[in-house]
Amino acid sequence: MILQDLAQPRQDYSYAFMDAYAKRELRRRILKAIAIPGYQVPYASRELPIARGWGTGGLQVTLSLVGPESVVKVIDQGADDSVNAANLRRFITRMSGAETTTDTLKATILQSRHRIPEEIMTEGQALVLQVPDPEPLRGVTADMSKASQLHADADYGQIWLLLYEQLVRYRQYIQGASYPSLVNGRYIISPSPIPRWDTPKLHQSAHLTLLSAGREKRLYAVPPYTAVYPLEFSDVPFQVEDQRGWVCKTTGIQNKFMNELPQEDGTAQYELSDSGYAEKLMNRGKTAPTYYDDEGNFYHAGYLRPPVLPTL
Amino acid sequence: MYVAARGGEEAIQHAELFYQALLGKLTPEAVQLVQRQLPFLLDKVMGEGSLYAPELAALALAQTGGDVYEAVLLLRAYRSTQPRIAYAEPVAADNVLTVRRISAAFKDIPGGQVLGPTLDYSHRLLRLDILDGVAEDDSPAAPAAETAAASTYPAVADWQRSQGLLPSIESDQMQAVDIPDVTTDAILFPAPRAHRLQALARADTGGVLALGYASMRGYGLIHPTVNELRLGYAEVEMKHPLSGESFSAGRVRVSQAEVITSGGQSGKAGYQLGFAATLGWNEVKLIAASTLDLEMNHHEPHPAHTEEFVMYHTEAVEASGFCIHFKLPHYVTFASSMDSVRKVIDTFYTGDKPASQELETMKQVQP
Repeated sequence: MILQDLAQPRQDYSYAFMDAYAKRELRRRILKAIAIPGYQVPYASRELPIARGWGTGGLQVTLSLVGPESVVKVIDQGADDSVNAANLRRFITRMSGAETTTDTLKATILQSRHRIPEEIMTEGQALVLQVPDPEPLRGVTADMSKASQLHADADYGQIWLLLYEQLVRYRQYIQGASYPSLVNGRYIISPSPIPRWDTPKLHQSAHLTLLSAGREKRLYAVPPYTAVYPLEFSDVPFQVEDQRGWVCKTTGIQNKFMNELPQEDGTAQYELSDSGYAEKLMNRGKTAPTYYDDEGNFYHAGYLRPPVLPTL
Repeated sequence: MYVAARGGEEAIQHAELFYQALLGKLTPEAVQLVQRQLPFLLDKVMGEGSLYAPELAALALAQTGGDVYEAVLLLRAYRSTQPRIAYAEPVAADNVLTVRRISAAFKDIPGGQVLGPTLDYSHRLLRLDILDGVAEDDSPAAPAAETAAASTYPAVADWQRSQGLLPSIESDQMQAVDIPDVTTDAILFPAPRAHRLQALARADTGGVLALGYASMRGYGLIHPTVNELRLGYAEVEMKHPLSGESFSAGRVRVSQAEVITSGGQSGKAGYQLGFAATLGWNEVKLIAASTLDLEMNHHEPHPAHTEEFVMYHTEAVEASGFCIHFKLPHYVTFASSMDSVRKVIDTFYTGDKPASQELETMKQVQP
């Protein structure tokens, strides 16, 4: 027997890049995050061969979950062929051999930056959202140690005050994406910078949502069938983006989240943000029910309410 | 294997080829040249990369065309895949093969001031004659001393401790495996001192300098006096796993700085030390970092006095990565914000003119 017989064959990188210790840590943190919906679980966050701030949080979660039998979909701004999505997909498949898809329904793991797809995700799917800033209280305190104390005490007065000030100044909530939301009646989360259009999709969803911030080293989860409510005063309901009348220039469809494309003549054209869904429509493929129907009604009736312009 | 969505993939592959076309040919010789000619750049990259590997650092620099943040990221990403197979014995200052060691606090110190290799007192003139090829680089080697200098030197702080000016220290009996490790632990505040010193050692040189300089210039609370600055070579002492014998696995360039300021811990009289050490020789970073080590406990009056602020914002890979991530498309979030801004404009303005204060209805209704 020679030494070489005892040694493992040379392998430049572990399966799915991260070593077993890093994966074990991630999986334990993920379990903790699922057990405490909305709670930000600190983790070590290893460096990956992708720049920090470019999806390394989501990527670590995906790499700790992916297996050879996985089917992975990666989107950025809703698009599969965006350069950053392409780059992350290339890395995940290179390191894991997993299959990839652009079909939301076929994906077992769907990693996304800034969007949740239009078609209703189902049980057994994992949505991994890349998070730049996990802290919904960052706007009221930049200090993470102070923010974690506020979360521990469920002391959310300052963020309610922020919303109240918006109503006083603008007569409406002016938060764009990352609309702060209450998970399971306990923790307020920043649902990553998804548009308000996507925030209600987290409520009582059949799929698991994992949100991970690699640079900030925090991950949190919305388990399946968990209540998620955007913060709103009872008399001034939360509003999603108003894109009524915007018609997709390629599919002719309405009442899905659109990209607004400025035109040289000063007007704008619109196209579906969800490129996988657009692809299906173009190919006359079978589509699944969507969170918003063709009239724009959300699938949980009564969850969204008509706007009220408060008099102050 | 089915690979989805081709367009973006081709674009990024071409972009990488364009970048590589700007660089010289990557050869073992080119990497060796970088390693030989640019030791201080190597030290900066190895320090921030927290991986002592001159050959890999040179490769990282050659491969990125000298983009330091990219080179550091390459080293860090490589490092994160490497298992920790053993722990070296602690290195004590007075065991380091010291080539430069100065103290600003005293005219002379036990063992003497050793100026060693430095540009501190050189004239910063470009050697234009080198460019013309007229003169060879014929700087003479420094003359050998008649008697060899000592290879090791006592720590200045030990003298101050013996005088009662600094509190005495007791050696920590912690096992190496139990030392908190900032690369594998979740970060929480207040951070253990090990995390602080590791974070400063890995920190972005420019970031540490900016915060340290702000403190020194007047936002700080202390006047840092350089008690001792030391460059040297440390043996990586290991215990043989079977025989238990100590042996050296190699030598690494290390540097450390101590700054001293009056006002002991928790209001006691005396002095306190700020400390920083890095792999490689990184003097500017060390003086700034050891100043921050003293400053980052205080919480007031400046952000640089909180460890959370210092540790988060001097992280080279995170800061540079987040900064360049703003190049990524953000059109979904921007659309969301535009929706809010348009609603506010619609509420309060008609064309360019402010609307009457009383608005009958809001235009937007439920989609």
